[in-house]
Amino acid sequence: MKSLMVAASITLLTAAPLAWGGMAEHVDRKKIDGIDVIGYPTTIKDVVTIMGALPAGDAFAAADHDNVAVATLTAMMLDRGTTKEDKFDIAKKLEGVGASLRFNVQDQALQIQARCLKLDLPLVIDLIAEQLRMPAFSQGEFAKARQQFIGQLKNAMDNVQERSAEAFKRAVFPLGHPNHEPSIDEYLTAAQTLTLDEVRAFYRKYYGPDHMTLVLVGDVNMSRIQGTVANAFRGWKGGVDYLRDAKPANLTEPQDHTIAVEMPGKTSIILAIGQSTGLRYKDPDTLALMVGTAVLGSGFTGRLMHAVRDNEGLTYSISAAVNNNTFTDGSWQVLASFAPQLLDRGTASTQRELQHWWADGVSDEELAARKTNLIGTYQVGLADTSGMARTLLSTVLRGRDVTWLDQYPKAVDAVTLLQVNTAIKQHLRPEMMIVVKTGSLPKT
Amino acid sequence: MQRVFSRRSFHQFLVRCAAAIPGALLSAHALAAPVEAPGFSYVKSLGGIDEYRLDSNGLQVLLMPDHSAPVATFNVTYRVGSRNEVTGSTGSTHLLEHLMFKGSDKFNYSAGTSIDQYLERVGARYNATTSVDRTNYFATLAAQNVDGYIAIEADRMRNLWLHESDRQSEMTVVRNEFERGKNDPHNLLHEEITAAAYEALPYHHPTIGWRSDIEHVTIETLRDFYNTFYWPDNATVTVVGDIEPKAMLAMIRKYYGVYIKAPHAIPVVYTEEPEQTGPRRVVVKKPGELGSVVIAHKIPSGLSPDQPAIAVMDSILSDGKDSRLYRTLVDTGLALTASAHGGTFHDMNLHFMTANLAPGTTQSQAEKALLEQIELIKTQGVTAEEVAQARQQYRADRAYRLDGTDSVVEELNEWIATGDWTQFVRFSDAVEKVTPAAVQRVAKTYFNEDQSTTGWFVPVAKGKLESMK
Repeated sequence: MKSLMVAASITLLTAAPLAWGGMAEHVDRKKIDGIDVIGYPTTIKDVVTIMGALPAGDAFAAADHDNVAVATLTAMMLDRGTTKEDKFDIAKKLEGVGASLRFNVQDQALQIQARCLKLDLPLVIDLIAEQLRMPAFSQGEFAKARQQFIGQLKNAMDNVQERSAEAFKRAVFPLGHPNHEPSIDEYLTAAQTLTLDEVRAFYRKYYGPDHMTLVLVGDVNMSRIQGTVANAFRGWKGGVDYLRDAKPANLTEPQDHTIAVEMPGKTSIILAIGQSTGLRYKDPDTLALMVGTAVLGSGFTGRLMHAVRDNEGLTYSISAAVNNNTFTDGSWQVLASFAPQLLDRGTASTQRELQHWWADGVSDEELAARKTNLIGTYQVGLADTSGMARTLLSTVLRGRDVTWLDQYPKAVDAVTLLQVNTAIKQHLRPEMMIVVKTGSLPKT
Repeated sequence: MQRVFSRRSFHQFLVRCAAAIPGALLSAHALAAPVEAPGFSYVKSLGGIDEYRLDSNGLQVLLMPDHSAPVATFNVTYRVGSRNEVTGSTGSTHLLEHLMFKGSDKFNYSAGTSIDQYLERVGARYNATTSVDRTNYFATLAAQNVDGYIAIEADRMRNLWLHESDRQSEMTVVRNEFERGKNDPHNLLHEEITAAAYEALPYHHPTIGWRSDIEHVTIETLRDFYNTFYWPDNATVTVVGDIEPKAMLAMIRKYYGVYIKAPHAIPVVYTEEPEQTGPRRVVVKKPGELGSVVIAHKIPSGLSPDQPAIAVMDSILSDGKDSRLYRTLVDTGLALTASAHGGTFHDMNLHFMTANLAPGTTQSQAEKALLEQIELIKTQGVTAEEVAQARQQYRADRAYRLDGTDSVVEELNEWIATGDWTQFVRFSDAVEKVTPAAVQRVAKTYFNEDQSTTGWFVPVAKGKLESMK
């Protein structure tokens, strides 16, 4: 009976790959008035998802020693009226057709996200251009945006995840590195003193089409829409490149490996353990490190979930990932949550699994399973317009050509056990890792 | 405002002319025709979805072929949620959902055949969630791997291990999920408002359960729960994606057809909520930075014909910058965000109006501003233009929700739990018929002080909290 069950399992576990290839052939990529415009038609009817980015994130303010709140508040002014119409007119146009358009600032990029019906695509492209090119920057709206931002920062001060991420990035990336993050307190102080003139100056210096990317996925015909894009953005000038030449964040012996972020009244603590890697996404060792990290901390069969959650019952969530490496060298991190009374046990179990993984590496069997997992989830993730748009955008921002869409599964499949275990040993040093504990910490 | 808890911690087309053809989802899906399949009775079709019933055990099956990508989403909805729990066993539905991943004789981790091992190996996006009316298990994966998933999913319907050792380790996992939720005082406020608003209906308790129940519920109670509700005639299988209906039905019959109907009647919840006779209030004081105000009103079942008008009212109140709450609360600097949203659960629902306060705003100010907006609709109604805009947003949403097999399944799953999957299509049709007068009528009918429960989150400084202890 036992052997029959094994035979059945072999049948089940022989998973066929997704019959999906040649995606890059369907990509229509054009430089339109300085903007890198990427179209990808899918079989979805009537729906178009737009994702875009331009280099105008927080890192630019820090690099220029500007007020650190200026990038976010500049972006917050974009949908608060233009020199042509006020914000309610714009909202009425968008909401009247059930479309959405949002701007969001990250470390290096201003991100653009929109969704609309095909019929309304010209309208939405016009509104993206109008808001990027001619923000009104009115004093009244600036005062409102500032208050909104201060409120968001105050909420972030009470958010365990935000506080953990803030402490981790500040510890792992040195001041001056594009991934180093100002503290929430620094943002608060900066927001209170920022002037509208500083916003205008930041806008003039960084906003422009030169390094902007716009991805359109869904029921889109590029030959029909390129005229609309050209008309909307014609004559717009300026823009800077991303900060790709930053000096890598070298791993240095920390004075104290453990950082305690005390927050009152919290019932679950976040533990973050990690370091800078010195690796960018495009670097040769990165993929091997990502695959190896997935063996440790991805999904329910990852070692951390299986040991610390399934076997020991110590946490609801634990994972490991390689992050922040789109434009510059990034970080490596384990993230977990524990009840205060289980924090010590949880930390010890996490460290044990991390040490075992680092010292002994991963096995052939684990690598094989994780490869099919990564390839499968990647392909499933491309099955809707937002997944495809997100992947296309991140691919080009990482400095890859769109052919990477088809190459990625092959590249994952080609990773060897030696490459994985070498990358883990070469780029990670558990004894040097920063440990951040955030929440209502137990008294020791 | 779904109170959904998930095991996982990570967790076509429609053109304007659809406005003139309500009821038609004018998509590639609609071209699919029902098929004849041995062992199944065809029930009905709507919006490209075909309903069948497995004759031998009553399993309901919904199929929606969509060949736009070589993937499919398979979902099984069990009509059991936290509304089926009583004091002492609150959270059992959710804890059982976690234990459903612990294996069976045939599919388990030691043998290398567990559901996690299979689904991760094939690169599926999968999970399970528990809500008040239902529990569901689902995966989106390459279409050719669906067969292997159904084999495991069907097996755990009746052959699940339920070991005490697994309960012990999973209890602390769930307890950490509970603790993580309590980190956010706004979640806590929501739970307390819900508990105060419902006196008798089991929606009173949170889906994740009370902490003491999570810790102490026995494996025998969980086993009884499993044996009461996990049967084919209490479940619906939904498959959307790159499938051939006849082959898919044969597959479903192969794996689910081995079971008999439940040997007992599935228990019916007969409790009704007594009439509320006056306003209720709760206050949550915890460390935090900014407060919030939530006003909950009792509204009818998700299947009530008044629900579409309430949905249109919510759109007018809180969809986007052009909405009334944005203009009067956010743009004036009273709130960081403001929203209005009603539940569409099986039984009597709550409608929540929420204001997350901006620095310097008091709870009284925000509460007054929220109530004024309701009063304005009751006394002056809404405009035809506002209703037309809300309708257009629903039309666009109809197209958006067909973008990805999992988004279709997600919405179908909720309507199955409410009691009628055809609402997936009919609700949007009904929105098309909502008039300004209907919006004003539902505002007058349901949004009264005596049917309200108002909650404040009042942040307290750390020192003050310690002195309160």
